Amino acid sequence: MSRRLPDAAVGPLLVVPAVLLLGGVVAWPLASALWLSLHSLYTPTLEGPWVGLGNYAAVAGDGAFWHALARTLVWTAGSLSLQLLLGVGFALLLHREMRMRGLARGLVLFPYFVSTVVAVLVWRWLLNDLYGLVNQLLLASGLRDTPVDFLGVMPNAMLSAVAIGAWKFFPFVTIAVLARLQTIPDQLYDAARLDGAGAWDRFRDVTLPELGQVLGIVVLLRAIWDFKEFDLVFLLTGGGPVDSTRTLPLLVYQQAFGLNQMGLAAAHAVAMMLVMLVFAGLWSLAMRVRA
Amino acid sequence: MPQRSARTDRTGPTRRAVIGGIAGTGAALLSGCGSAGTRKTLRWWSPQASPDQVAGYRRQIARFEAAHPGIRVRFEPTSDEGYPAQLAAAFASGQVPNIVTHLPSFAAQGYYARGLLEPMDDVVRAIGPDRYYPHANDVYRTADGKLCAVAFGNTAVDMLWMRRDLMARAGISEPPRTWDQLRAACRAMQRDGTYGAPLPFGSNSMTSLIFVGFVHRAGGQVFAPDLSVGLDAEPTYAALDFYRSMREFCPPGATGFGWAESLNAFTSGATATGIYGGRVLGNVARQNPKLSGQLVCATYPTRAGGAAWTFNDFPSVLIPRGAPHLAETKMFAAGLFDPAGYVPTLLSAPGHILPPLKPIAESKTFLSDPVIAANRPAVELMATSAANGRNLGFESEKHRPNPRAGEVIASNVLARMVQQVVLENVNPRTAVGEAAVHLDRLMKA
Repeated sequence: MSRRLPDAAVGPLLVVPAVLLLGGVVAWPLASALWLSLHSLYTPTLEGPWVGLGNYAAVAGDGAFWHALARTLVWTAGSLSLQLLLGVGFALLLHREMRMRGLARGLVLFPYFVSTVVAVLVWRWLLNDLYGLVNQLLLASGLRDTPVDFLGVMPNAMLSAVAIGAWKFFPFVTIAVLARLQTIPDQLYDAARLDGAGAWDRFRDVTLPELGQVLGIVVLLRAIWDFKEFDLVFLLTGGGPVDSTRTLPLLVYQQAFGLNQMGLAAAHAVAMMLVMLVFAGLWSLAMRVRA
Repeated sequence: MPQRSARTDRTGPTRRAVIGGIAGTGAALLSGCGSAGTRKTLRWWSPQASPDQVAGYRRQIARFEAAHPGIRVRFEPTSDEGYPAQLAAAFASGQVPNIVTHLPSFAAQGYYARGLLEPMDDVVRAIGPDRYYPHANDVYRTADGKLCAVAFGNTAVDMLWMRRDLMARAGISEPPRTWDQLRAACRAMQRDGTYGAPLPFGSNSMTSLIFVGFVHRAGGQVFAPDLSVGLDAEPTYAALDFYRSMREFCPPGATGFGWAESLNAFTSGATATGIYGGRVLGNVARQNPKLSGQLVCATYPTRAGGAAWTFNDFPSVLIPRGAPHLAETKMFAAGLFDPAGYVPTLLSAPGHILPPLKPIAESKTFLSDPVIAANRPAVELMATSAANGRNLGFESEKHRPNPRAGEVIASNVLARMVQQVVLENVNPRTAVGEAAVHLDRLMKA
């Protein structure tokens, strides 16, 4: 005789796989990080005593965290602003009727597709002081008498990182904005033209408001991704000169694997997550208020 | 719309047949895996992984596998900057390689002090202790009297390399011996787009390791023999002062130089002097042969009245604890020194890794290599310098082995101090003071 589950139990049961999945990929790593951050752990063995909130006190009291946070904000704000500028610009360009538009739309995605390691190696080579194309051009054109040190001194190192980061990631903005541009009704532009709006007026009063929502999401996503960007900055400058480009992810990496202090690194990582949550919350709130 | 008939269904494979087929295929695959699984796999890591060296390792592996059909060895390259992180992750996850070669002695001491390495005394016995030069393995001796690693080679990492043609053009008859002479030589040779020296100023291990040598050549030390921090002393300031004065003779991009960039700057002809080990010989022979006959090798100059100090990283062979197949791994470790495979591997970067085994160093096969033969004085000088060499894990005869040296280097504290003074014009007293505090904290962590 078959037994039938009560209807009230079916719903929760169906949710169980999703809960388990989320628990496995989100809650468990998060709980692990929190647990690690409450210990003083030697990375290779993951052994060490319980220190409670000691690591968090060390994070708060250590200037390195705050300096790294400031550098992370500079990197994120700089790179994100340029990405938006380039991304929206290219999207507007690629939205226009032109020859070989399909090819251009494909090519603009290239920086986003290329592996970060490859991109950084290429850029390091281009910017090399002894053999790099950029310096050779600067010297040949007479603009400079000596090569420029793009990655080894400030502010060049941060500016180069920001510029290369923007080059690498702006296609994401382009894709998102271009998709939205294609759904803006032509009638809005026609109406604006009838009202005597010029190109800039149409962009400001029609295009930008229509893009508002998608830009909001793009800014949120890219800000999160840029905030925790590791490989590009690490491979490009290694955090130097001194610690001028040592952003929070690089600091966490150094704590965890350079100094073998996994507990402290986990505390840094949790603090970094909290900062991100605060920013994401404020941004979402601002978007909601604006809406 | 035609409907599928029951008859059609029956002519296709039945569900039972499909399940049976899958099960059969799975069983066959599993049995196949089983036969492959009986072959033990050893993982070998090394940060010395230039294409020629890797080819040498593969030949050694092929010889070993042919002699031991039940064992497979897989080589996995790492890097000087990357191995601390990779090994830390490997230890933490329990996925350690079976054998790691070419790590500096201080890394081995550090890992052993934490109980992460197997003692290697029986490997040395299998290789033959008498084949080693006297004291060649002393640097791996630990507090418990055992060996945490064995010497795979010696490297005189910070030799001064010069070019006869540039020296002659600048009127320099012999390599400089003091810092003042070096500065004068660099000034005289720096012209026509050729810089004086490729000293590193990057935020990396090379800057730290190289600068330790300058502190010693000024008569100082980073740690006292009891391993208290000894950095904040006059010789450190003298070394910083000299290092800063050399900036004008280095390429602008030296602010990011690591080992590869510094080496390439000299071998490509972009700098008149070099600071590196014997890899210069092979790279020049292969990449810029017109310089081959021009090379001059000397110990790096010291402060006036100072004593020479050569950085030897004492490239080692070590076995992480917890890896499977320990007996086979030790057999493979000892087999690495079989002359038939070992000598060609050494000669894949001639003069860079110098043999700590006397019969090998004196063997005709080793000495008749064209690059070695053409540069015998340089090779002999490097061998002598390396034999008397030191590193941060073993700063002098009086020093205890420093098990935190690896972390000191990985922390970039010393490189940061150099960068602060040279690139940011921070007062040396402030920079050294900060570095000393950081080092003290690291040692007590």
